[in-house]
Amino acid sequence: MEIRCWRICLIAVVALMTSGAFAQTAPLSERVVAYQIEGAYNEKTHTLDATELLTYTNRTGVTLNKFPFHLYLNAFQPKSTMMTEAERTGQRDFAKGTGWEDKHSGSNEVKSLEIVGAGDVTKQMKFVSPDDGNPDDRTVFEIALPTPLPPNQSVQFKIHFVAKFPEVVARTGYKRDFLMAGQWFPKVGVWWNGAWNCHQFHASTEFFADFGTFDVKLTLPARWNVGASGVQTGAKDNGNGTQTVTFHAEDIHDFAWTADPTTRVVEDSIQLGARTVNIRMLMQPGHMASAPRYMDALKGTMRKFDEWIGPYPYPQITVVDPPHGGGAAGGMEYPTLITADTTWWMPRSLLMPEVVVEHEFGHQYWYGMVATNEFENAWMDEGINQYSEAKVMDTLYGKETSVLRSRLGTLSERGLDLLGYVNVADRDPISRPGWLYMDGSSYGGITYSKTALMLLTLESLIGEKAVIHGLHVYFDRYKFKHPTPAEFTATMNEAVGQNLDWYWKQAIYGTEVLDDRILSASSERLDWYNKQDEKKGATVYHNEVLVHRRGTFDIPVVLEAKFDDGSTLRELWDGKDRWHKFTWDRKTKLVSAEIDPDHGRPLDRDHFNNSWTAAADRHATGKVAGYWTLLTQWLEQALSWLA
Amino acid sequence: MNGSVRSSAGLVWRHQRLVWWIFAVNLLLAWLASLPARATLSAVLDHSLESARLVNGFDVGALALLLFRPDVPTAALAPSAVGAAVVFLVYLLFLDGGIFAVYLDDRKLSRAEFFENSGLFFWRMLRLALYSLVPFAIAAAVNGGLAGWAGKLSSDAPQERLGFFVNLSGKLLFLLLALFARLWFDLAQARVVQDNERKLLRTIWRSLALVFRSGALFASYLGIALFSIVIFTAGVGLWVYLPHRATLASFLLLELLTLTMIATRLWMKAASARWVALLPRGLALAPVALPVEETPAPTPPTPVEVIEVTDVQPLSPEPPISE
Repeated sequence: MEIRCWRICLIAVVALMTSGAFAQTAPLSERVVAYQIEGAYNEKTHTLDATELLTYTNRTGVTLNKFPFHLYLNAFQPKSTMMTEAERTGQRDFAKGTGWEDKHSGSNEVKSLEIVGAGDVTKQMKFVSPDDGNPDDRTVFEIALPTPLPPNQSVQFKIHFVAKFPEVVARTGYKRDFLMAGQWFPKVGVWWNGAWNCHQFHASTEFFADFGTFDVKLTLPARWNVGASGVQTGAKDNGNGTQTVTFHAEDIHDFAWTADPTTRVVEDSIQLGARTVNIRMLMQPGHMASAPRYMDALKGTMRKFDEWIGPYPYPQITVVDPPHGGGAAGGMEYPTLITADTTWWMPRSLLMPEVVVEHEFGHQYWYGMVATNEFENAWMDEGINQYSEAKVMDTLYGKETSVLRSRLGTLSERGLDLLGYVNVADRDPISRPGWLYMDGSSYGGITYSKTALMLLTLESLIGEKAVIHGLHVYFDRYKFKHPTPAEFTATMNEAVGQNLDWYWKQAIYGTEVLDDRILSASSERLDWYNKQDEKKGATVYHNEVLVHRRGTFDIPVVLEAKFDDGSTLRELWDGKDRWHKFTWDRKTKLVSAEIDPDHGRPLDRDHFNNSWTAAADRHATGKVAGYWTLLTQWLEQALSWLA
Repeated sequence: MNGSVRSSAGLVWRHQRLVWWIFAVNLLLAWLASLPARATLSAVLDHSLESARLVNGFDVGALALLLFRPDVPTAALAPSAVGAAVVFLVYLLFLDGGIFAVYLDDRKLSRAEFFENSGLFFWRMLRLALYSLVPFAIAAAVNGGLAGWAGKLSSDAPQERLGFFVNLSGKLLFLLLALFARLWFDLAQARVVQDNERKLLRTIWRSLALVFRSGALFASYLGIALFSIVIFTAGVGLWVYLPHRATLASFLLLELLTLTMIATRLWMKAASARWVALLPRGLALAPVALPVEETPAPTPPTPVEVIEVTDVQPLSPEPPISE
């Protein structure tokens, strides 16, 4: 008997130790929500019939009378705000004026809603549209509590819902047998800055939610491979052609899952300090050539984030590779699960698989753990992550070749960012809420690219290490919280020991454009009246470089001047005035002059006017104009097929 | 077929002056069309250190940013390229009469003879080019239809690559149809010149019937096109390995490829001309079942001497009409 007891105790201890693989000893976050969801998927109708038990703990410090919920899948209706915005501005997988197709129809239908202990409140559900008042948008509903919820007390909502998935669009839905289930369950809003924050689903914006735990049980066709946020804790073949899989996740704020009968599972792990993180990739058979590329990029990224920003605290990361035609599900982040993107025969010189995996893993930090409000402050996730992407890709694949490294040409991360930014530079401030941008180009160019360029340019002012250190401090301080822009800038100021408000004001809150240029440069004899010939080394020249602040961004400028005796000078201009004249009276003539000689200000939207050379070099003109001539010749020949 | 391909290549080689002239005008027109772009680029690049990104390597981002600049109006520069292409087309249509006269006769025409033929047949060549828009448009429509279907298959078919392969097949079919249509109208052009034919519709229909009976000639066209593709691919493969600073070598190599493309196009014309020249007169002029216009008027004297089959040297050992 004693022996039997001992054995039972031993088994219990071992079970506890093994379960520790996914259950951290202490919560990493202030867990506000606990979702328990159980559902069955119908592959013919692409619907999930599910029951959700949400336990919400009031950690707001105030009494709560009502709760708002997101029903994101209701955005896939023709009159919804998201679809209307997408149709009008051409965003989120829709070209402008695409028109409605029934296959894009999706919905979250709440069959019943019960407040445990207070009864059914389904009829009290009230759809609201806090952002645009659209009466046909049903992506947010509110429910009033029969009894207010005091601080530190909990309330349970039991929701029976049916999720109907669209053909994959806006990063959720099915494609053939593939399913990417994102934003699929009723999700409660966030109490943030003293009020509920629960925005409608917009064409350009993403999401915002509270941290907690997720226990999800799904019944699916037995032949399907399943991946999800968190870790799988069980799988049972039901013997009727279906299987039931269970997942558990902690300290995350969203839960996504995917299923596909054709995927191949690639597993590996990475050691980061004392922690081992499992890597699980669900690959399309036709994309297996990209699997090692995904893996290398992911491991390299995880190491750099671990070194620069902080530890990845979860036991697993899952990478989902969407099928051909399912690209709308690609390049998306969910907690501990990311979707990649590639194609058959992806050229090795084009690093798009690497870029996507790097970018989406980076979101595990800025979206996943720091968890900013992506509706209102998209740049704090997308933009900071874009900066991280540039840093990591530069390190892993070379500063000039981090996107394209072919013999024909190269493309860098910062070059790509500049392309996105340059034509929308003055349209919107970074700080603008996502759905209020002029259009999708402006949203992308400013939120992603300008933020990245702004932080890269900051390196030229305070140093690369200082910026990375600042981000490390910011991450460490605000992980598992929901920081504001002011908290970001204050933390950066504090971490680097400088008041950079003058910079943030222009770069984040303003639409100032940085474009400094060399307007003119010359070397004239000082004794211009002298008729004698010039004598090298004896004649004194008045050398002059006129720098013009063509843009509106006020930032110090370094100018480097080179002279014909091989000497070099560097001088600083504070950049306050509209122009500045650098002059030197020397026995040497100017050979060249250059603003920002270390090329540390990628935010400058025109790099061609940053320098001047005394001697003309016609190589580049010859090359580019030569290609133009050649293309014209080939156009001539193409048309002459008629002759 | 080999003999036909070889002998028509010989025609092009013997009359290579045509290739050089066409190439020269092709290059001259393109150069003139690129002058505004050259001036604009020169103002931006010649005194900028940033231009090194385009010389020491080829930074695609720098190129794109250059083209995005408001003072480099890419869209405004495009019409000059299109204009050059149109002028080149008219130039070739003008030369077509002379070119076919040379290839049909296989002798060096005097300048006066050449341009007399060019002028004589210009309007007929222009009308033939306009008629040829119909089959080319049909080929383009087939391609468009298949591309649309491929897009749907790509999205909805259970086999994810089906759409891709249908699309690829559509492109290949389009190329074959375009080649077929070109052969058809090349034969029509050759017959117009040989017979000084004014009834263009009748010539077009007869040429179509002839194309269906001349599989070997189509095979020749296909072979010449494949040769051109192989040369082009090899040239581009070599070009890729040139150092980025080798601007002159790069230019010369790409121009050599352009010259080859022009030569292969003339090679096709020569093959058609030779084919028509070798046709027995009765067969060449035999009415076909398709629309027959009134009896042809007596052929007026033409500057081109009509070549009798028995006069042509050398004769191909193979029969001119495929069985």
